[in-house]
Amino acid sequence: MSELTAIDQVTSFPVKDVNTTCCYCGVGCGVIATIDEGQIVSIRGDKNHPANSGRLCVKGASLHETHHSPDRLLHPLVHGQEASWEQAFDYTVKKFQSTIDLHGADSVAFYLSGQLLTEDYYVANKLMKGFIGTSNIDTNSRLCMASAAAAYNRAFGGDIVPGCYEDLEVADLLMLVGSNMAYTHPVIYQRIVKAKKERPDLKVVVIDPRRTATCDLADFHLPIAPGSDAFFFNGLLFFLNQKNFIDQSFIDLYCEGFENALKAVTDQGADLTTMAGLCDLDINEMHQVYRLFAETDKVVTVFSQGINQSSTGVDKGNAIINCHLATGKIGRKGATPFAITGQPNAMGGREVGGLAHILAAHMNYDSEESVDRVARFWNASNMTAKAGRKAVDMFQDIYDGKIKAIWIMATNPAATMPNAGFVREALQRCDLVMVSDCIGNTDTAMYANVVFPTTTWGEKTGMVTNSERRISLQKGAIPAPGEARHDWHILTEFARRLGFGEAFPYQQSVEIFREHALLSGYENEGGRAFDISALADLSSEEYLNFQPVQWPVNEKYPNGRARLFEDKRFFTKSRKAYFVPVVAHFPQVRPKAEQAIMNTGRVRDQWHTMGRTGSSCKLFGHCDEPFVDINPLDMTKLGLQDGDLVELKNRGARYLGRAQKMIGQRRGEVFAPMHWNSRFSSSSCVDTLVNSFTDPYSGQPEFKHCPVNIKAYDAVWHGLILTSEEFNTGMKTDYWVKIPLPRGLKFRLAETRLPKSFSSWIKEQFPLIQDWAEFNDSDGDYFRCAGLVNGKLKIVFHAKRGKSAIDEHPWLDRKLNEPCNVTTRFALLAGQPGVAFEQKGRVICYCYEIGEKSIRKAILDGCDSTAALGERLKCGTHCGSCLSELNSLVKDELRAKNGITEVDKLI
Amino acid sequence: MKELLLIGNGMSTGRLLDELLKYPVSSEFTITVVGDESEGSYNRTLLSPLLADEIDVDLLIKKPVSWYQQQGIRFIHGVAERVFRENKTVYLVDGQTLEYDHLILATGSRPAKTSSVNQHLDNIYNFRTLKDVLMIANKARVIQHAVVVGGGLAGLEAAYGLILRGANVTLVHRGDYLLNRQLDQQAGEGLRRVLEHHNIRFEMDCEVDSFESTGQVVQRAILTNGKAVSCHLVVIATGITPNKELGEASGLDCGVAIRVNDFMTSSDDSISAIGECCEHAGITFGMVEPIWLQCKILASKLAGKVITRFQMPAVATTLQVSGVDVFSAGDHTTTGAHRTLIFTDPASYVYRKLLLKKDRIVGIVLLGDTRDGQYYFELMQKRVNVSKVADILIFGRDFFDLESLLEANQFDRV
Repeated sequence: MSELTAIDQVTSFPVKDVNTTCCYCGVGCGVIATIDEGQIVSIRGDKNHPANSGRLCVKGASLHETHHSPDRLLHPLVHGQEASWEQAFDYTVKKFQSTIDLHGADSVAFYLSGQLLTEDYYVANKLMKGFIGTSNIDTNSRLCMASAAAAYNRAFGGDIVPGCYEDLEVADLLMLVGSNMAYTHPVIYQRIVKAKKERPDLKVVVIDPRRTATCDLADFHLPIAPGSDAFFFNGLLFFLNQKNFIDQSFIDLYCEGFENALKAVTDQGADLTTMAGLCDLDINEMHQVYRLFAETDKVVTVFSQGINQSSTGVDKGNAIINCHLATGKIGRKGATPFAITGQPNAMGGREVGGLAHILAAHMNYDSEESVDRVARFWNASNMTAKAGRKAVDMFQDIYDGKIKAIWIMATNPAATMPNAGFVREALQRCDLVMVSDCIGNTDTAMYANVVFPTTTWGEKTGMVTNSERRISLQKGAIPAPGEARHDWHILTEFARRLGFGEAFPYQQSVEIFREHALLSGYENEGGRAFDISALADLSSEEYLNFQPVQWPVNEKYPNGRARLFEDKRFFTKSRKAYFVPVVAHFPQVRPKAEQAIMNTGRVRDQWHTMGRTGSSCKLFGHCDEPFVDINPLDMTKLGLQDGDLVELKNRGARYLGRAQKMIGQRRGEVFAPMHWNSRFSSSSCVDTLVNSFTDPYSGQPEFKHCPVNIKAYDAVWHGLILTSEEFNTGMKTDYWVKIPLPRGLKFRLAETRLPKSFSSWIKEQFPLIQDWAEFNDSDGDYFRCAGLVNGKLKIVFHAKRGKSAIDEHPWLDRKLNEPCNVTTRFALLAGQPGVAFEQKGRVICYCYEIGEKSIRKAILDGCDSTAALGERLKCGTHCGSCLSELNSLVKDELRAKNGITEVDKLI
Repeated sequence: MKELLLIGNGMSTGRLLDELLKYPVSSEFTITVVGDESEGSYNRTLLSPLLADEIDVDLLIKKPVSWYQQQGIRFIHGVAERVFRENKTVYLVDGQTLEYDHLILATGSRPAKTSSVNQHLDNIYNFRTLKDVLMIANKARVIQHAVVVGGGLAGLEAAYGLILRGANVTLVHRGDYLLNRQLDQQAGEGLRRVLEHHNIRFEMDCEVDSFESTGQVVQRAILTNGKAVSCHLVVIATGITPNKELGEASGLDCGVAIRVNDFMTSSDDSISAIGECCEHAGITFGMVEPIWLQCKILASKLAGKVITRFQMPAVATTLQVSGVDVFSAGDHTTTGAHRTLIFTDPASYVYRKLLLKKDRIVGIVLLGDTRDGQYYFELMQKRVNVSKVADILIFGRDFFDLESLLEANQFDRV
């Protein structure tokens, strides 16, 4: 039998501009990629895309620089060895089938990703639920949007974001709750910055334990006690009722359950004083914000992972929604609760039904009718009728041997699941681990029996849905490297080999999308909000030229809808919105004495576990090393200096990062970034510490609140190694972190024991290098050397005894593989170019590579605003991601000029 | 008027006269100089560049005979034979008798004797006088193979000069590494590698047992290691022996040389000694800087001015070989009491060592790149605490702020 061919594989490539969608966050920006000779040579924002109107953040603007990872997987791997597709399929299909035969369908599982395209998701979901016969299919959306989706479901009878991005601009009050939008959704943040500039009356409130970069925009920042959000919004509901700010007629006509919800709040005690105490907020500020909410007609409450990633995230979401329902601030322009999604296609995955607790196309297991409907539509041979295991439970089942085969696609659970060490153990125990990824050595792939090489952004074609229900096309424009294949294509072939060829006849992704669209309208009759049946007969050409549209897209709304619930009709059985009674809880585990509460999250320029962003040196400019943000008083208490390594520990797992002094960090609380993993660091995978406590409704883990032990890392020496890629054999020190350079890699090192001799220690690791320039200090305080081959620099090593890191100069980062004369050799070991080099300072604007010194100089020369700076230096005029930093610099210099010396470090 | 008599007309005398003439001494002294080289005073440090053909001979001559006339100084071309201290007179070989009120011995030194047999053969020269160098330069044009004996500064400079004049050179050195009085072993060996690169061959750890010839002109050197090296020119540069004999014969207290006190006065108050013929606190002199200091001290003493005591100053050594940079000062061999900062770059022929005691530089050895020698030397002389820049000091002043270091040091002392 001949293997099917995916005919939408890109094969020809003249120079052209291709309209596509960014693959990072939930904003879903339109991107124009310029293709030349099969390469993406430049990227710009699509002015006609409604999500971004031409704007891009630095991640998006660097998409073309992240396409050449040295770790890109080009061929299937079976037991770590390169193999043919035939071998890979043969091995996996037999093993998968025999596992099902021996242990039943529930002994196999899929773990998918919000990075997958809708079509990939659809095929996976259909295969598992309709033909293999299990609902053990869950995704990393469980880690990001499950709570918000569940809250929507409980309140609206469907997983429905009522509003759209425009609402954020036209509102009169914007509440940003648990969202560092400046970093996580930079383009939306820029839209709000613009809106606020044009209309200063727009009030912005940020509710976040940390004083984040987003707070630059805020009229009020409420540094709320972590996990107390439900108290805050219950208190608001109580306040609204007490002060007669509720919209009684809206409640009466369109809602149910208000009395119960209010009772729950009142019974728990929700007066302002109590709530301010529990939330650890200034009562006057809290009161002002309550009044603002109450007295403003157009309010949008944007909430994100600070709400979702909690053991009571669903309740928190409903506490927010309750306040909007109680005041009728929903279904209108500029008035809505708005959960903003982390991933590019978290919503697309939910539409498809790619989660263990839902079925397909916004149908659930709660009715036999739905199961039957989907079974009929699919002509399913083995339809499952019950929910499957959610992510955390799924890996527990793997650990316990109940699930014996797992297929992980486009995600990295060994680094991102809570208690990631446990997940690794589970994978170690699992009989069959299949991984589909474009990178062959992710933390998860290390545990795989088989790794399938997949296409990635720029190579594959399919739909994504952003946070405002807007479906856009990600369009393949360059050929797949090596033998990489599309995920849907791999799944289709797998299904065919399992004997389901008839139900999986797909040759092009458009065929899958049409089927998905058809299912959304199948026996729908207005009962399900998600209905894109108008797209069910798209031609291939229409598909490839797809214009972004917000669902529903059906007979009634052929051009989609910006807002839902304008008619005040919800998707519950009664068609009324439902007030969920919320009893507020703090997180389950409180910190013991001397412990700190660890919060985790993103940095501005990295994405997830850096599979893509980790290959661009530019994207390490803003933050290149794992860190721990700590309040200055806590720093002193712990005996830490800025830049010292600090160790966080929980359950024996440990996280090492640089201590960063942050005034905006509450005492007793720390923040650590989520991105670093074994490819980039020795011991900085923060999710190994996070506890796997989950929300009882959504199954979403508590990533934002983890008590940890904290202490200074007792390094006796620090090191710095720059090495060209071909000499990199990995680092052996207790602490190391890898940072890509234009031509090679940089490692920062630290150790708790001194080697006998630095000189022999380093030379043993680079035995092929003969030409060494070396600096030895007989006291052993310092050691430095540079190794060259044919006069070109291949490695530089600096070591220093003591607790503090090596001083670095950006000049050194560009010297690898360059020919070096005698003078340069001194400089290599000095680690700097010497006095002749005029330093531009730390790079602030990465688009134009403008440094801090140049910027400060321009400010002193009279550029007193970011706009003026942009005119002079161009900084901040491309992606705009650095605007908040530019603003801080302007303020900083002007404050210094005006004689005020106190300068807060805000970010 | 007092009679001031100087015996010897080398560089020390020249310098002393310069120092002396800064004072109004013409009303007080009649100055007489006795010299055995008719050219007057010349700058011996330029002999190496002369051999290397880098300068002309007129550049060496500092004080031609006419200069003495202009200054009202009597110059006598002659050799002193004896000093009669009891009647303060000096007999010259030609029979002249000169009287003095104060006598200054600046008789210098001569090449040290070696034990090699047959040193009388033609084309065997020392590397000491202008005459030596002119002869060597002249012969170098016509011969193919030369042997240089001695791996100190003079020997290396001679070898290098000969190479530039087209000769094949073998250098024979008694020590186990070059410049063993200025460098540590690693630097000395590094230097050898550099010079080998310049086509100088080396025979280390041995001496010339004998020179051989079937005629008058030397043909080969037989070494103590058994090897025979063919040569038609030999330059012996095995160090110097102070010319103390004149002083010793007149009963002055002598050790290796004529002993002087902190004011350059010998055991006879009326007699001073300066330069390579004198010995102070057990030390004899070959480098320019301490001798200049002696001249300054003696001049101010003679002029009746406030004088400081002589103390051996730190001296930096450099090798006068273009392209082969050596700088050395202070300690050069590491002991347990030192902290050393060492930069090695064999591929670039660069070696740097700083020796520290109590966070102060006490020794400098630079090979291959001596640009920062003077800065380190200044830090050493001023005893500047360098602990704060110990990580980058060795890479040179491009990488640390010398001025602020010096400033901090001043502050330190206040």
